[in-house]
Amino acid sequence: MIKYVIRRLLYLIPVLLGVSFIIFVLFNLVSGDPTAVLLGKNATARQMAELREQLGLNKPLLEQYFDVVRSAFTFNFGTSWATKQDISQMIVQGAYPSLCLTLPAFVFATILSLVISLVAAFYRGKGIDLFVRIMCIAGVSVSALAYILFFQYFFAYKLGWFEISGFEYGFPDFVPYVALPAIIFVLLSLGPDVRFFRTVILDEIYQDYVRTARAKGLTEIVVLLKHVLRNALIPIITYVVIQIPSLILGALLLENFFSIPGLGGITLNALNSSDFPVIKAMAILSSVLYILLSLLTDVLYTFADPRVKLK
Amino acid sequence: MKPLVLLVSALLLVFGCSKENKFDEREINLISPEKIAGFDPINASDRYSGNETGKVYEGLFEFHPLKRPYELMPNLAESMPTVSEDGLTYTVKLRRGVLFHDSPAFKDGIGRELKADDVIYSLKRLADPKLNAKGWWLLDERLVGLNEWRAKHALLDVTNYDEVIEGLQKVDDYSIQMKLKKPFPQFLYALAMPYTFIVAKEAVEHFGKQFLNYPVGTGAFILPKFEQTSTITYVRNPKFREKFYPTEGEEGDDKLGLLADAGKKIPLVDKINVHIIVESQPKWLSFMKAKEDLLEVKDVNIQQTITPEKELKTEHKEKGVRLIMKPMLDVTYFAFNHEEPIFKNRKLRQAMNMAFDRAGFNRLFHENTGFEAHGPVPPGLGGNRKEFKNPFIRYDLDQAKRLLVEAGYPGGKGLPTIVVQTRSDTVARQQVEFFEKSMEKIGINIDVGTNTWPELVNKVTKKQHQMYTMAWGADYPDAENFLGLLYCPNQSPGSNGANYCNPDFDALYKTATVLQDSPERTAMYEKLNESVALDAPWVLGFHRTDIYLAQAWLKNFKHMEFNHSQFQYLNVDLEVKKQLSKKF
Repeated sequence: MIKYVIRRLLYLIPVLLGVSFIIFVLFNLVSGDPTAVLLGKNATARQMAELREQLGLNKPLLEQYFDVVRSAFTFNFGTSWATKQDISQMIVQGAYPSLCLTLPAFVFATILSLVISLVAAFYRGKGIDLFVRIMCIAGVSVSALAYILFFQYFFAYKLGWFEISGFEYGFPDFVPYVALPAIIFVLLSLGPDVRFFRTVILDEIYQDYVRTARAKGLTEIVVLLKHVLRNALIPIITYVVIQIPSLILGALLLENFFSIPGLGGITLNALNSSDFPVIKAMAILSSVLYILLSLLTDVLYTFADPRVKLK
Repeated sequence: MKPLVLLVSALLLVFGCSKENKFDEREINLISPEKIAGFDPINASDRYSGNETGKVYEGLFEFHPLKRPYELMPNLAESMPTVSEDGLTYTVKLRRGVLFHDSPAFKDGIGRELKADDVIYSLKRLADPKLNAKGWWLLDERLVGLNEWRAKHALLDVTNYDEVIEGLQKVDDYSIQMKLKKPFPQFLYALAMPYTFIVAKEAVEHFGKQFLNYPVGTGAFILPKFEQTSTITYVRNPKFREKFYPTEGEEGDDKLGLLADAGKKIPLVDKINVHIIVESQPKWLSFMKAKEDLLEVKDVNIQQTITPEKELKTEHKEKGVRLIMKPMLDVTYFAFNHEEPIFKNRKLRQAMNMAFDRAGFNRLFHENTGFEAHGPVPPGLGGNRKEFKNPFIRYDLDQAKRLLVEAGYPGGKGLPTIVVQTRSDTVARQQVEFFEKSMEKIGINIDVGTNTWPELVNKVTKKQHQMYTMAWGADYPDAENFLGLLYCPNQSPGSNGANYCNPDFDALYKTATVLQDSPERTAMYEKLNESVALDAPWVLGFHRTDIYLAQAWLKNFKHMEFNHSQFQYLNVDLEVKKQLSKKF
């Protein structure tokens, strides 16, 4: 397995080269000149030319490409063009509020979804299952924005149970600020998660080995938890782990409405201000996270199913 | 039992932990609708960065918080400057005993006195080619020797701030002489803008790249370290000089209670909390929960604020909330790209102006609070004559159709589909869709081009547009700032994104803008405003209205277009807050 892990880690090199190339083409060749946005409404042609020079946009293209590659491998992203802040520091500072919101909500949503899915599968075809299915469809049919607007108005403003917006660093100071968006996050996740988990569990439930287990006289609960869930874990792990990069990169809409200074807002601001170094950093970061987490998924497979061997 | 206790504790932690309003601290709570990039004055290009910078830094001059029309008054300067007869040499005397905030950048961490060298250093920073400041345009080609200094240092590794420049010289520790290349009557406004706020060289050098996060100014409030969080908290500067609340203002200010604190030492509060809230709903709800003391009302919230008669709604009146509505110094427009051959046709431009249903637009997008623009210069500035009525602003479809025939495009025949570029947000798109419907009525086909802000700016600066929509807010209270939008040398990538060129207009603009404020200059501005309006270089939109809601306990707030220095004058009545908060 160690060899496999090392090999997969080495795959990072060509992938990062590829990502760097795509980012370079997108930002240096396809997109426009960022200097007008960076200099504001009174920019002059001369000042734009000076800034292009200063930002290194007049350097030979190959050199500019190597700059992107260098930052991808060293994780030294330099400073933001728009805010002049150190990008690594911005990412660390923004990741904390994002994770305070998304991580507990994600863990809770996943566990709750699994429990609901197992209950629905246990009572498949009956009233409870129908109710869960209807609720899931209703849940995914309503836009996230509607949930946010209603919950913020009703629970934070009308009932006054939560803070309307804001964030404070440190536990438990951040709890009143992230509690409501976290609840919304859980509700938004339940619909798609339960639908997926339920389908995967039901796929397993009709397999021969389940019939064998039942024939051996095992109770339905044991069949579900010990046999069905274990076999359903592989698609579930894939589904769950692949969502982790988006947790770190923030829940943009929730962060915006609840004024949580996370990475979602940083990325959006960067897009609106042509802040290429920040956008590049976020793109590289998400690629690396994606690769590392898909490796983690593979490793987790071996625990979930001993028949899986990583070679 | 144990899990139950844990569950109850967790619920208690989560629920019921919304914070109560405070009544014992002399603090005010404000909203910034945008994130603040940092605290370096030379890059404080937008209104909101300027507002934050203005709490810790100060300029030589500031706008009087009460007097209207806007009037400058000395701030770090001891008095208004002496100006040579030719209007080229300004001598500014500095106030003595002004101290920078305490900071590790200074010896023993104690803030030192502000001197003439600091002013010269701060203005040179604006010109430093290594910093490429957003505010450089303000001094570009203005001071003798400054452009040459900038050009020379663009080629050197290190900028030498000690090199003396003819246009920026120290007379003694407390006076500076500034020499202009040519008359620039707006120069004193420039010295009141956040770009020219005074910084200390030691702080810039000590904090290096992190300087923007460690503001060390001379202002009424202190912010030891700026972090990208959701709240910025400023505390009173205990060493702030003897500065007092003005004793006179505009007529009627007394009745409004704006002179109740006249003569008192400022600042009047101990703390300012600025909450960064981007979305409309949380801003509105926070104000309605009395967590904020002031709210700038925009878009969807206008309807919740005022009646169709533009009165404050009763439910807000009952809570003592005050409504402040004042016309903004701005203009909105749909600009033609005059390099497109079809838009060289004046009759076509005039027809499109007459076909635009401004009343409908105003009702739909501004809740009838906008004022139809008859020219680029907004009311309240010299150059805008109340009596001037632009005949092409009138909504008259028959006349528009006749003009279209005269233009050679009867019923719009022969015209290509015109793409109007705008931002991709919903309201911006809807506004162009409304424009599209208006033009359809005379047979002109419009397409909406939606863009992210950088894409839109790129298209305009590279002249890759047929038409685009824009709003322009005043940098300072002078019509030059608006007329310059149509001055040929300012064409893209400059502020004249319409690429409009009119030799007569340019000649008069050049003459008028170097004159000091006088009836002669005002007459020239009026001529410029009116002649260009009749030539229809844009489809004119509106001069919008600023709408604010203020809690009853917030004192001394008066609408101010250039409000970066205003916050030091605000006050809070804690007794009123305690009483009225129960109603929220």
